[in-house]
Amino acid sequence: MCPKGSSVKGSLLLLLLMSSQLLSRSVESLPICPSGAVNCQVSLSDLFDRAVMLSHYIHSLSSEMFNEFDERYAQGRGFITKAINSCHTSSLSTPEDKEQAQQIRHEDLLNLVLRVLRSWNEPLYHLVTEVRSMQEAPDTILLKAMEIEEQNKRLLEGMEKIVGQVHPGDRENEVYSVWSGLPSLQMADEDTRLFAFYNLLHCLRRDSHKIDNYLKLLKCRLIHDSNC
Amino acid sequence: MPFLLKEKEANMKENVTSTTIFLLLLFLNTNLLNGQSAPGKPKIEKCRSPEKETFTCWWKPGSDGGTAANYTLFYRKEGESLTHECPDYKTGGPYSCYFNKKHTSIWMIYIIWVNATNQMGRSMSEPHYVDVTYIVEPDPPLNLTLEVKQSEDRKSYLLLKWSPPALVDVRSGWLTLQYELRLKPEKAPEWETHFAGQQTQFKIFSLYPGQKYLVEVRCKPDHGSWSQWSPENSIVIPSDIKMKDTTVWIFVAILSSVVCLIMVWTMALKGYSMITCLLPPVPGPKIKGFDTHLLEKGKSEELLSALGCQGFPPTSDREDLLVEYLEVDDSEDQQLMPTYEKDHPSQGRKPTQLDPDNDSGRGSCDSPSLLSEKCEEPRIPAPTFTIPEVNEKPDDPGTNVTHNWDPQGINFKGKNPYFNALGSKSSTWPIPQQSSNHSLRCSYHNIADICKVALGTVNGPTVSLGKEENHALNYPTTIDTGGEETTDKQNELGHFHSNVDQGTTWLLPNEKMPFMSPRPMDYVEIHKVNKDGALSLLPKQKESNGNTEQASAPDSSKEYAKVSRVMDNNILVLMQDPRAQTRVIFEESAKESPQPLQHNQAEKNLSYCTFPPGDCRLQTGGLDYLDPTCFIHSFN
Repeated sequence: MCPKGSSVKGSLLLLLLMSSQLLSRSVESLPICPSGAVNCQVSLSDLFDRAVMLSHYIHSLSSEMFNEFDERYAQGRGFITKAINSCHTSSLSTPEDKEQAQQIRHEDLLNLVLRVLRSWNEPLYHLVTEVRSMQEAPDTILLKAMEIEEQNKRLLEGMEKIVGQVHPGDRENEVYSVWSGLPSLQMADEDTRLFAFYNLLHCLRRDSHKIDNYLKLLKCRLIHDSNC
Repeated sequence: MPFLLKEKEANMKENVTSTTIFLLLLFLNTNLLNGQSAPGKPKIEKCRSPEKETFTCWWKPGSDGGTAANYTLFYRKEGESLTHECPDYKTGGPYSCYFNKKHTSIWMIYIIWVNATNQMGRSMSEPHYVDVTYIVEPDPPLNLTLEVKQSEDRKSYLLLKWSPPALVDVRSGWLTLQYELRLKPEKAPEWETHFAGQQTQFKIFSLYPGQKYLVEVRCKPDHGSWSQWSPENSIVIPSDIKMKDTTVWIFVAILSSVVCLIMVWTMALKGYSMITCLLPPVPGPKIKGFDTHLLEKGKSEELLSALGCQGFPPTSDREDLLVEYLEVDDSEDQQLMPTYEKDHPSQGRKPTQLDPDNDSGRGSCDSPSLLSEKCEEPRIPAPTFTIPEVNEKPDDPGTNVTHNWDPQGINFKGKNPYFNALGSKSSTWPIPQQSSNHSLRCSYHNIADICKVALGTVNGPTVSLGKEENHALNYPTTIDTGGEETTDKQNELGHFHSNVDQGTTWLLPNEKMPFMSPRPMDYVEIHKVNKDGALSLLPKQKESNGNTEQASAPDSSKEYAKVSRVMDNNILVLMQDPRAQTRVIFEESAKESPQPLQHNQAEKNLSYCTFPPGDCRLQTGGLDYLDPTCFIHSFN
């Protein structure tokens, strides 16, 4: 009787521990692997599916946010003429058409994606902060900015996992482009400030589209053998 | 001579002026006829990329630009300072510029403008900023095929298939397409749209047979614009499904009509029996086993046996019948027919279908006709209580009960063998053992049992009868039934009966009383038996059928009347219970004033019932109710 009881108790305790582990994580980010697992073998296919889903979502949000801002604040100001060659990530040499993207090696392309993602950590953080303080900004823009910041972090985690599976050991130093547009965002002059926002949102829309496209290319290439 | 020279000079000047004017006018006219002017400002209308690898821009000439103007398109790419001219003016049609793959870069802003030049001047359009990333609009899907197919459960559906547009590279993942289709019956005004996701086929169910449907499909890249609708394709749904449905419905209609006809026919033929099955008729009152013919013949044994008076004591499962009670009949012309008239040894149950109305107090063998016709037959009714001589000594020396039923005293005349049997048995009746000072034994019997015991008992434990209550009985020792002619007893009993049902109690000396099946009769409860053998009855609480208990005792707990004494050897005089307001008193007998003393004694002596130790509870005060089973067991 005694050993039976203790074994039952032990299994119950184990169940409780596992459930608490699972529940302690937020609902939104279902973990691919439970924390602490060393050799978690979630399939690459699932990792790519998730990454593509996230990147697609981030670009949709960015596109909506840009359009909304453009309609509301940027009409007739000619911001587009000034937003030429003004993204901080343009120093990263990314492929510019399909041929270039198909010729680049997938490891390099993955690293490129990581760099772009890392380059956007800080700008997104400041974007949220400044939009929040901007009283005339509608809630929708703020909410989208917050969501993009959140999902970007997740995508970065996922990409690091993919890189860890695809070519582990080839860890490059964390290279990314530095963003220096914060002072512009905080300018008192409304026109300058609005252009700073416009430029930031414009560059965000473009880079999120790049990431989305690269990941879809990689997914079809690596998972489906170029036969999507 | 100088006058002539001056005139010639003037004519020459006039000629030169007019010629000049003429020439000027001619020149101006010529210009106006040719329509020559600086071209209007062109405007770039739209740029589009069908596969995100090439793109085309279209412009519109200026308002007053003539056909003679030359249009040139120039562009500059973001991050470069060089200006390029449009590589291809033809592929895209007039006023277009087509950028092939070599000249197309993604994620880069193009600054494009158009120059219009003619002889008179030139004009330039506004610069147009375009990023190929956001101008993707593919061609419509190709090869839309329609086919009607059958699924496993014989449902037919329409299967649509198509292929992506030719130029789009879906296989490498450069573009991800989503599809949408729409269909409508040929003459319908509105389209029905369905989103198909990334699949290149679609199934549509529940289409109307015999109709012609039109279908179109279009596609959209993951972050671009919808394409145009594909060319229409049509199909006619075959109409054989309709026929099958009709056949099925006809079959169902015929089957249901046949079923209805069968039901109606069945109802018509056997309606009555069905109704009787569903609603059985209320049975009329009759005595089970009672045969009037036998009665006429005078064969009492057969009649009584046919009536089913069997099986005493009752051994059935009905626990409430464990209580024996004396049934008292209140009808004047009826005699109390104890159930011992039936087969003595059998302790069967009286059938319960007896008429409850006027059979109260009657044994199962009792019936008006029976009693009347057999008036000379020996009856051993309850008066047999009175009949036996209470001469025998009580087996319990110290008890109040001191009478014995003298079997010999009972004159059983007639042909009733039961009595004899009972009488013969009387001598062998076991003497109740008493374990306490209380001499009286409490047991509960119906009248039949009481009668039996009366016949056979040696000792006289009192038995209190009542409706499912056990009471100690006091029977007066004056009850003298010995030697009395039964007919007299019957008469008296009849009197007795008339008053009894209101609360007379019978004293039954027996230790082992056969149980009689309960009947809806009035039972009187024997309160107790005092030492004189007075039968103490408790008046009935309920509404009296008879005359005695008009002002019934308000104390509903009491249904008993105490018999104070017996007068003239055949009349029971009831006592008034002090606890009750009114008492049942015999009509015939003189109204006895309540005798509180005796009553009190009676009350105090309630607890004289003896119980076998350990089996029954001895209750003091109030009315004692005893489980007769304990007596039975103790007796055994």
